[in-house]
Amino acid sequence: VKGSYIGKPAGSKLLRLDLEWDGGLVVCASIRGDFFAHPEDGFDEAEAALAGVPVAELGAALERELEARGVTLFGLSPGDVGTAAAGIVASNNGVSA
Amino acid sequence: VKAWRYLETGANDAFFNMGLDEAILESVAGGLEPPTLRLYRWKPSAVSVGYFQGVRDEVDLGKCAELGIDVVRRLTGGGAVFHADEVTYSIVVPETHPLAAGGILDSYKAICAGVVAGFKILGIQAEFAPLNDIVAGGRKVSGNAQTRKRGCLLQHGTILLGVDLEAMFTVLQVPNEKLKGKLIEDVKARVSSVSAMLGHPVGYEEALPAFERGFAEVLGELGPGSIPGDDELRRARINARERFSSGAWTFKR
Repeated sequence: VKGSYIGKPAGSKLLRLDLEWDGGLVVCASIRGDFFAHPEDGFDEAEAALAGVPVAELGAALERELEARGVTLFGLSPGDVGTAAAGIVASNNGVSA
Repeated sequence: VKAWRYLETGANDAFFNMGLDEAILESVAGGLEPPTLRLYRWKPSAVSVGYFQGVRDEVDLGKCAELGIDVVRRLTGGGAVFHADEVTYSIVVPETHPLAAGGILDSYKAICAGVVAGFKILGIQAEFAPLNDIVAGGRKVSGNAQTRKRGCLLQHGTILLGVDLEAMFTVLQVPNEKLKGKLIEDVKARVSSVSAMLGHPVGYEEALPAFERGFAEVLGELGPGSIPGDDELRRARINARERFSSGAWTFKR
């Protein structure tokens, strides 16, 4: 199932999240926007590591993966991504992949 | 040993511009050059997108191709920028340098102080607006972005000399064509430029000395402007060719 979120979480910059999930597990999460992350490639790796985690735990998993790589975020929080993912799932706006 | 190297590299295409910023980072990281300030501009006009932005999300690629506008992904995060009538700067210092001390926010503020000083020389009262903007009269006049790699800090930013919102929203994606007019009005209320603030057109050549002096006030003596060395230029061209003009990099997101 696929779904998307575009919005500006309170206190954050614009977030675009494309989410694909299957059986409650993330297949792919694409997190885009005008935020900053240092180091940038640590964010890339953390994002790639989200495949296979439960959709309901996306925010917590991102936080864990970023922390493991020493990545600092500005203009976005892992909670924003988790909330966006929950909204995608809850709104039932996904279409069959 | 010189405290600073100052480069004024004039107008180049987007891929070379970003390639040279990276080559300077490599030079400073390798101890080949001292901390470096560079002032430059873009020819042709270009759109740069932030490291984490989707290029198709942000840019009308067909329109850019039609108008001959370069599209490049930056090493730094932040938002999409239409580079036309502006002075652009980049600064590279080791992370051990006082300008990089105290974390990301403090270093943005410390480096942006040079831009603020340049505005003051032009007669414009501007101030740093966290995280990464400079505003004058409540309107954004400069956007800045920073990355830290290889033990160095690279910050580059745009100093708006003029703003053509029609052109900007021709090449940037707008969520809804029907709302384009309102979007332009909204941005008009939030963005200004040196020319708009002073009430007459101010070009690159006129603005350049003010920002040279502004940065010198904050950084210390810069010395006369120079150009990159042959090896640095060679690496800039390699970076431009192999990274910044490659589809793999541009369409990374």
